[in-house]
Amino acid sequence: MLSQEESGRVFALLKSEHRPVEEIVSDFTSKFPRHHHFAICYSLLLLLEDKKTLNSTERLVAFAILHQAYSSQKSSANPFISLIINTACDSEAEKYERAFILQLLSSGTSNINKEFLKQSAADYIKGFDASSHSFPQHEQLQQQYCDKVHSEPYNYSHINVTVKNVLPDPDVPHGCDANSPEFQLQTGAKPKLGSGDRDEAVAGLLANLSLKGLGPQWIRPLPPRFPVLDRELEWLIPDNNHELVWDHGMCADTSRGAAVRDLIAKALKGPLLPAQYEQVVVELANDPKLVYHCGLTPRKLPELVENNPLIAVDVLTKLINSPEISEYYTVLVNMDMSLHSMEVVNRLTTAVELPKEFVRMYITNCISSCQNIKDKYMQNRLVRLVCVFLQSLIRNRIIDVKDLFIEVQAFCIEFSRIREAATLFRLLKTLGLE
Amino acid sequence: MDSRDSTQSMAANSSGGDDDGGLLSVTASLAKEASLYFQSGKFDECLDLLNQLLEKKPDDPKVLHNIAIAEYFRDGCADPKKLLESLNNVKRRSEELARASGEQAETANNLGNKVILGAKGSGAGHQISSANSGSLIYMDEFDASVAKLNIAVIWFHLHEYAKALSVLEPLYQNIAPIDESTALQICLLLLDVALACHDASRSADVLMYLEKAFGVGGVSQGDSGSMVHQQSTNLLTKYSSVPSSSSVADVSNSDLGASVNASENPLSRTLSEETLEDDTVLVLSSFEISGQNLARSVGLSASNELSRTLVDRSISTVDLKLKLQLYKVRFLLLTRNLKQAKREVKHAMNIARGRDSSMALFLKSQLEYARGNHRKAIKLLLASSNRAEMGISSMFNNNLGCIYYQLGKYHTSSVFFSKALNTSSSLRKDKPLKLFTFSQDKSLLITYNCGLQYLACEKPILAARCFQKASLVFYKRPLLWLRLAECCLMAFEKGLIIAGRSPSDRSEVRVHVIGKGKWRHLVIDDGILKNGHVDSLGTDDCFFGSDGQPKLSLSFARQCLINALHLLNCPELNYEKFGLPSNLSLEENESSEVTSKNSIQRNLTGLDSKISVGLGQVTSNGDAKEQKGGTSLETIQNSVSYCEDTCKREKQMIKQALFANLAYVELQLENPVKALAAARSLLELPDCSRIYIFLGHVYAAEALCLLNKPNEAAEHFSIYLSAGNNVDLPFSQEDCEQWRVEKTVDSEELNGGSMATKNSSPEDPQYILLPNPEEARGTLYANIAALFAMQGELERAHYFVMQALSLLPRSTEATVTAIYIDLMLGKSQEAIAKLKQCSHVRFVPGGFHLSTSC
Repeated sequence: MLSQEESGRVFALLKSEHRPVEEIVSDFTSKFPRHHHFAICYSLLLLLEDKKTLNSTERLVAFAILHQAYSSQKSSANPFISLIINTACDSEAEKYERAFILQLLSSGTSNINKEFLKQSAADYIKGFDASSHSFPQHEQLQQQYCDKVHSEPYNYSHINVTVKNVLPDPDVPHGCDANSPEFQLQTGAKPKLGSGDRDEAVAGLLANLSLKGLGPQWIRPLPPRFPVLDRELEWLIPDNNHELVWDHGMCADTSRGAAVRDLIAKALKGPLLPAQYEQVVVELANDPKLVYHCGLTPRKLPELVENNPLIAVDVLTKLINSPEISEYYTVLVNMDMSLHSMEVVNRLTTAVELPKEFVRMYITNCISSCQNIKDKYMQNRLVRLVCVFLQSLIRNRIIDVKDLFIEVQAFCIEFSRIREAATLFRLLKTLGLE
Repeated sequence: MDSRDSTQSMAANSSGGDDDGGLLSVTASLAKEASLYFQSGKFDECLDLLNQLLEKKPDDPKVLHNIAIAEYFRDGCADPKKLLESLNNVKRRSEELARASGEQAETANNLGNKVILGAKGSGAGHQISSANSGSLIYMDEFDASVAKLNIAVIWFHLHEYAKALSVLEPLYQNIAPIDESTALQICLLLLDVALACHDASRSADVLMYLEKAFGVGGVSQGDSGSMVHQQSTNLLTKYSSVPSSSSVADVSNSDLGASVNASENPLSRTLSEETLEDDTVLVLSSFEISGQNLARSVGLSASNELSRTLVDRSISTVDLKLKLQLYKVRFLLLTRNLKQAKREVKHAMNIARGRDSSMALFLKSQLEYARGNHRKAIKLLLASSNRAEMGISSMFNNNLGCIYYQLGKYHTSSVFFSKALNTSSSLRKDKPLKLFTFSQDKSLLITYNCGLQYLACEKPILAARCFQKASLVFYKRPLLWLRLAECCLMAFEKGLIIAGRSPSDRSEVRVHVIGKGKWRHLVIDDGILKNGHVDSLGTDDCFFGSDGQPKLSLSFARQCLINALHLLNCPELNYEKFGLPSNLSLEENESSEVTSKNSIQRNLTGLDSKISVGLGQVTSNGDAKEQKGGTSLETIQNSVSYCEDTCKREKQMIKQALFANLAYVELQLENPVKALAAARSLLELPDCSRIYIFLGHVYAAEALCLLNKPNEAAEHFSIYLSAGNNVDLPFSQEDCEQWRVEKTVDSEELNGGSMATKNSSPEDPQYILLPNPEEARGTLYANIAALFAMQGELERAHYFVMQALSLLPRSTEATVTAIYIDLMLGKSQEAIAKLKQCSHVRFVPGGFHLSTSC
C-alpha cells in the first residue's frame, strides 16, 4: 500500500496533463525509489482496469509510466505488458490511447522514437490524427513484444488467486444509471445527491489500493499461553548463611603421619615387623584422613599386596570411598595371581561390598591364570588356591554362583584330578540342588 | 627408586618446618593467634600477624588466603570481586605448588601413569580433580579446598550457581580426604546450590551422602564415636593374632614365586606335596574363618569412619540434624513428594522446638501451597514470627503473592509482589553490603513472579521488562524465553507492537469507503497480509531499545523461541550426574564424563557407577539401624525418579508450546518454509497433545498453501474430515483438562476436599487460556473453505465457509473468505450485500482528502 504522501505525489503526476509526458516519467523514476515502482504501477494498473475511473489524459500518463518505468528492460520483462498490449488492441478503447500505446511500444529501449513524449498528454490528444496510425492485430503485438506467445503476466504468487479488493458501489438513488451525466459534479454548482468528485475518488483509491487483492483468508489461531508450571512461581525461603571460612590449615604441622609414610614405604619392599605393622594400623585408625597421605598410589599397590597383604587390606578398606578406589581395583585385577593377592581380595570381599564386575573379573583372571601355567606343579598349587578361594567366596555369599556357574563348573571339570576342585564341584552341585 | 621417592615426599611434606624446629612452632603459634583475632573480629591485629607470617613464609598460599579473607572483612565486605580474584590466585598458586611437588616426587618411572592422568584431565571440568589425584599424597600443605570453598561461597551469594557448582563439584567428588568441618560446609553449600538449581538428582546424592557421613540417621554422635573406638581395639586384638599365620603365608608365597620363576628348581619339587598343600589350605581356611569375623569388624569400622566426627564444634548436633531435616524437606518439596514431605516437616518442627523455626514454617507453608491448601498456607505464613525483618518480610510478601496468583487473584498478588520487591530493594540500600545481603536480595526471583503476574493480567510490556530483568538469573531456563515470546505475541495480539493492524482488530472487517456518489468505491481491507509487511519494515537486529528495555516484536519472539529450543535440546554441558543408583543415571553415565574419565576405568565398565553406589551399600551391610537408612534412601531415589519423570513431561510440554509458537511467528513473519518446518517438528513430537496436533496441522496447511502446495495442505485436513464434508472436533474438553499441569494434590489427606475439586473447575484461571474445541472445529471449516477456494473449488468452498460462519459468526477471516468466494463466483452484488448486512463490518471513510495544492 502506498503511503499518504506517495499516493498524493502519484496523483499529482497523473493530474499534470499539461506537462510533457517525458518530464512526468523522469519525475516518476527520480522521485520514487525503485523498489516502490512495482507497487505504484500496480495501483495504476488497477485504476486503468476500470475504464471510467481515470480520464483520458490521466490514462495516457498512467500508461506512459507503466511502460517507461520498465523501459530499460525488454518489453517482455515488463510485468504489465499484457494490459498494455490488450489495451492497444482493444477496439473499444479510444484511438488516441491505442496509438499512444503503440508508439510507446515501438519506442522500445531506444531513444529515437521518443519525440511524441515531449508533448503533454493534453496536447497529444488535441493533435491526434487517427489516419496516420495503423492498428496491428493482438497476435502480432504479442509476438513482437512478448517472448513467448503464451507469456503469462508477471505472477505474484497471490495474485492468481486473489480478486481485486475494490468494488464500485455507486451511491446513486435506486433505479438510476450511475453513468448518466446528471451525476457529474458541476463546478460551482451545489453538489446534489449521487454526485461525486472523481478526483477525490482517484486520490482515495490510490491511497488505499493494496498490492495484494482480496484472497481467501485463513484463520491462524493464536497459540494458547503456556500454563504456569507447578514450580514456576518462585517460592522464597530464608537462606542458609554460608560464611567465608578461615583456613585453619595455615602453617599447621605437616609432619603428621611421617612415620606411617615411612613404614608404608618400607612395607612396599618387604614384610613389616609385627610392631611396625601394629603402628601402621593404629595410626591409620587414629587419623581417618591419614590414609590419603600415607604415600600409597595405585601403581605401588602390587608391591604392598605381595609384601604386606594385611596392610593392603586395611588401606584399601579405608580408601573405599575415595574416587581413586577404582584405579586400585584395576591394578588389583591386573596384577599377577598369587596367594597374597587372593588373600587381599578375599578379605576385601568380606570387609566391604566390592563391585560385582570387579569380583567377576578377578575370578575369571584366576581361572585363566590356572589354565595358562605351563608348570604342572605350580598349576596344581594355583588351582588349589583358587578352589579354596572360590569356596570361601561362595560360602560367604560374596558371589552369586549362578553368575559364574558355567565358568566355574568348566574349571572344576578341567582340573577334576585335583581334590579341591572336586570338592568345589560337589559344593556347586549341592547349591545347584537347592 | 622407591626410597628416593619416599625421602623426597618427606622433604616435600615437611618443607615448611624442616629447616629448624623453632620456626615451625613460631609460625604455628602466630597462625593460632591470628585465627583467634579473626574470630573475635579484630581484623587489623589479625592482618598484622598474617603479614608477619608472610615474611616468614613468603608466598605461602594459605597465609595469602587468610590475608585475603581478613582484608575483605576489614574493608567492610565491600568488594567481593576483589576477594574472588585473590582467592583464585591462591587456588592457582596452590595447584602449581602441588603439581610441582608431585612432579618432583613422581619420577620418570610413572610417566605412563601421568599420561593416563593427563588424558583424564582433558575434560575441562576434571582438571582439578585430576590434579588432585595425580598428587594426592602431597596435597596436605597445598590443599586448596578451603580457598575453593570460599570461592564457591562467594558465587553462591552472588546467585552464580553454575559457577559455584563448577567449583564445588570436583571438591565433592574427592571429598574423602578433606577435613570434616570443611567437608560438611562443602556438602551443605553444594546442597543449597543444587536445590536452588532445582537439580533433584544432585541434591539427592549430596543428601544421601550427608545422612551417611554425618550420621544424623538415628545414632547420636557420641554413640558412633565410642563404637569406632571399640572397633579399633577389636581390630588390634585380631591383628595380633594374625601375623603368625601371615608370616607362614609369606614364606610359602615367596617360595611359590621363586618356583614360578625357576620352575626347574629341584628344591621346590622335593618339597612334600602333602605339607605344602596343607600349608596353603590351612592358610586360606584360616583367613577364611578369621576373615569372617575380622572382615565384619573392618567393614563396620569403615562404615563408621564414613560417619565423620566434627572437629569443629561450631555446629551442634541438633542444629545439624535440624538443618539436614530441613534440607530433606526442601528436597522432597522439589521433587513433589508431598506425602513424605509432610512427614518430614513434622519431624523438623519437632526438632526445631524452642529454636528459630521460621524456615520450618516457610517450608510447611510451601507444602500446603503445593498441596493446594492455600488458606492453610497463608495461615502458616502469618505465623512466622520475625516478619519485621526485611529479608523475611520480602519473602513473606512474595509467597503471599504466589498463593494469590494460584487463587487467580492476580491483582492482589501484584500488590504483594510489588511490596516484596520494595522491601527487597531497600534491603540493598540500607545496610553496608555484605555477601549475605546479596544472597538475601531475591529481587530477581520476585521479578520473575511479577512477570508471570503481568502476563496473567495481559500487560505484555511490563511482563517483558520483568522477564528481561529476571533473565540475569534465569537465562538458562527455556521457560523464561518462552514467556518472553509470549509477551511479544500478546503485545502483537493487542496491537502494541506495530502501527498496523493486529489480530485483535480481526474482530471486524474493515471496509474503506472511497469517493462519493457515483464514484463511490468500497475497498476491503486485508489486514493480515499487511501485518507482516509492516513488521518487517520495522525489523532491525537490535532487540533492545536505547533504554535497554526489550523491544517487543515478532522477530524478537522468534529469537526467544529459538533460544528456548536450543536450551532444551542441549542439556547443560557441565551437567554431570553423580552416580545415582537408579537405572536412569546409569544410562546417562555413559554420556557423562564419569565413565570417559580415564582409560583404565573403561576396562571395568560400570564399575565406577557401582563405586559411587558403594557408598550406600557399605553401610547397608551393617546392622539393623541401617534398615531405616535404607528406606529413606529408597524414598530419596523414588523421589528423584518421579521428579525426573515430571521434568521430562514438562519439557515435552514446553517443546510443544515452543514449536507451535514458532510456527505461528514464522507465519506472521511470512516465512512459510520455516513455519512449515516448525509445524512439522511439532507434529513429530512424541505424545503430543491433541490441541497442539491441531495447531500443527493448521499451521502446516497454511504454510503449504502459501508455498503453493494446496494438495499437500489438504492432507493435513484429511484426518479431521469424516464422511466427506464433515469436520470432527479436533480435540475434546478432556484434552484441554489433560493439558493443564496435573496438580499433585493428595486429596485423600485433605480435610477441605472442596479445595481440590475447585482446582480443576472451569473457573480456574489457566483454563481459559486454551482454545475451545468447537471454535477449533470452526477454524478447520474456515481453513478448508479457504483451501478449496484457492484450488478453485468454489462450490465446496462455499459450503465449508457457511459451516464455518455458523460456528464462528464473528470470524473476520471466514467473512472475508465468503465475500471472496462470492466475488469469484461473479456475485459482486451479493458480496456487497453481505458486507452491508454483516454486523462486524466497519466502514471507514477513505481518510484521504485532496489537499488544495493538487
